[in-house]
Amino acid sequence: MAEKCPACGSCGMPMEKPEDFALGDVTRPYCRYCTDARGELLPYEQVLETNVGFYVDSQGVTRAAAIEMAQAMLADKPAWRGRH
Amino acid sequence: MQPTTRQEQKVVTRDRLVNAAMALFARKGIVNTTTADVAKSIHMSHGVVFLHFPTRDDLVVAVIDEFGRRLSAEFRQAFEHDLGLRAVLHAHLRVLAELEPFYARLVTEAPMLPPKVRSTLMLLHAAVSYELFQALERERKLGRARKIDRPLLFNTWIGLVHHYLVNRDVFATGNSVIAEQGDILVNHFMTLVKP
Repeated sequence: MAEKCPACGSCGMPMEKPEDFALGDVTRPYCRYCTDARGELLPYEQVLETNVGFYVDSQGVTRAAAIEMAQAMLADKPAWRGRH
Repeated sequence: MQPTTRQEQKVVTRDRLVNAAMALFARKGIVNTTTADVAKSIHMSHGVVFLHFPTRDDLVVAVIDEFGRRLSAEFRQAFEHDLGLRAVLHAHLRVLAELEPFYARLVTEAPMLPPKVRSTLMLLHAAVSYELFQALERERKLGRARKIDRPLLFNTWIGLVHHYLVNRDVFATGNSVIAEQGDILVNHFMTLVKP
């Protein structure tokens, strides 16, 4: 089985290289896309929007479908678990 | 090597469950496979599955994640040798061929799967889309490809590949449609992107 790398605790993105982590620090639990310039976790709405854009830009799906997918994806991640 | 610590044993058990699930999903379909079927196939108690995966969807997501890890390793390796679009297409197909029976089921059943599972597959697609587009842009700078929007570039490739996978019984004489038709699909796609 392939070697496992840590996944972002907010969006689940696999973090393989130091530059994938917040502030390039491999001890951080979140990726660079889910954090601000100080390495702090961004608000849920902003993380959701990034993920929605990710689905739309890569595959051309509708915004409504992308929102449903992104919400489902984030729902059980450690950062957002129990949010609703 | 035998696992020695409790943690190592846990990883081994989890990997066994993921592999067993992948094999059963391929054979019976994802929708038709229960967690009890998975446990039974490797002579484990049903409760063990839930120690590792709280819901059936979590197990399906773990299987797709395993696919994603292999894909990402294959892309990394491809880039160490060749940055061209053709190499990226072949890297993608190599992983699909390795897990073809499972992947064919996954794409066939995708519209019936819950959003949590479907979104995991779509994230993988997003990663493939990114690699394809980066490779196309590099080819374009060398005058070897034309401009194509990212979603359509990806959808054209994946539409072609998925059509052959979903109908693999009529496109392949043996077990792998990717092994039999993969080179033809890559060659065809490369002619489509020419300037």
